[in-house]
Amino acid sequence: MLLGALIAPGAGTPIPHGTVELIAEKQGIIAAGHTFDVGLRFQLEKGWHVYWINPGDSGEPARVEWHLPSGLSAGAIEWPTPRRLDSGSIVDYGYEEAVLLIVPMRADGSLAGQSKAQIGADVRVLVCSQEMCIPSKVELSLALPIQSQPALADARKTEMFANARKSLPRPPPGNWKFSVADGNESFVLAATLGHDSAVHPITQAIFFPLAESQIENAAPQKLETSAAGFRLTLRKSDRLLKPIERLRGVLVLSSSPLGNQGYLIDVPVSKAGGARHAVQ
Amino acid sequence: MKCSTLSSMFRLPMFVVLVLCAALSQICAAKVGATAPDFTGTASNGKTFRLADYRGKFVVLEWHNNGCPYVRKQYNSGNMERLQKQWTGQGVVWFTILSSAPGKQGYMTASEENEYLAKMQASPTAALLDPTGEIGHLYDAKTSPHMFVINPQGVVIYDGAIDDKPTTELSDVPGATNYVSLALEQAMAGKQVETAATRPYGCSVKYSDSTH
Repeated sequence: MLLGALIAPGAGTPIPHGTVELIAEKQGIIAAGHTFDVGLRFQLEKGWHVYWINPGDSGEPARVEWHLPSGLSAGAIEWPTPRRLDSGSIVDYGYEEAVLLIVPMRADGSLAGQSKAQIGADVRVLVCSQEMCIPSKVELSLALPIQSQPALADARKTEMFANARKSLPRPPPGNWKFSVADGNESFVLAATLGHDSAVHPITQAIFFPLAESQIENAAPQKLETSAAGFRLTLRKSDRLLKPIERLRGVLVLSSSPLGNQGYLIDVPVSKAGGARHAVQ
Repeated sequence: MKCSTLSSMFRLPMFVVLVLCAALSQICAAKVGATAPDFTGTASNGKTFRLADYRGKFVVLEWHNNGCPYVRKQYNSGNMERLQKQWTGQGVVWFTILSSAPGKQGYMTASEENEYLAKMQASPTAALLDPTGEIGHLYDAKTSPHMFVINPQGVVIYDGAIDDKPTTELSDVPGATNYVSLALEQAMAGKQVETAATRPYGCSVKYSDSTH
């Protein structure tokens, strides 16, 4: 099969049309107050995808149930900036080809007496193409030695985690200002980027909402740029029946020398009027 | 005004109306609190059904694709069949709607669908075959399943998921809150439907316009 040619043997546990592997950035844990990152590395055949925390119109994000020794605790998945998976009137949010979902772990002093920690992860994942979806459940495990000295990471894993961190949305620069106006049919997300706007004009903007049923995922997001920044019009979901207080999500901005960057934004929503003001 | 009204008023072909609808979504959308867009569909049993003929009754619309694991969860657990039996037994009209395009997952000929209904002992009022996606687009059905409940006045009172457990696991069916039953129970008791819109969960509807 094609899969065999793309993915090295031993690189993970099979899932439909791909593999998943539980990996640690460094091959060892230092007990007592130490934090370290593990990750679920999905590799998929061409044409197949997995989902972001908000999957969009269809699908479901991967879920993990950890089995950890006492003294270890797992944080939440750090979701990289997703892509729009567009199939006509339906738009999903997810990842194609490969993605590493980083999960921070914390060790406390009670691990100290042991020689290794066995980390288990029961992963439920839905893998989809445009044509079909296949659910699966796999049990992954990883044994890490517990030691007093920092463990060296191998170059391949260091690179994987570094790349995954680059694809995480980051907080926007402090001098950028955002507002959201609540119109009848749309939210208008307005941004002033100060000097940055003149240096690197925005060529494309895509907003990925963290909450479901706030905006119409499949609607075009109209971008209007100005010297100071831009405005992005987001059509409301037909299933949004009550006003919302905040719009939270990942805003991906493209500018010609810098490429794409995702920013995590959390903006209070103000009533219309403000929106009309900004139009003129 | 509704899409079908547009279609008949101006004698426009339905694909033109669908483009208009996309542009003027507020006019045509099946939105909670608004009149449900009218449609006429051909069922797997050969009969023709028009939504407007069922004013005075509650109507449930269920988007269906028997290859989708979220649909299989509901059918293989017997839940969907049970709901169909329970609610049609109380006078509710239940349309199962298949909007998969020919060659796509979930597309069924009339005889294949009749066999499926018999095998599953499913008892919707009718299974409407919508291979052009006309009804699906009219309601902007996103997933299978995607459920709508329409009240006797012809107003949409629920739009969204079948229940509150967006997974493919059969074991999640017994503990789930079923939003369709809840909407019907509350509306029949003369109450406001508390949860009137949710994110429908499941597989994307396999329309003919999808890019692959």
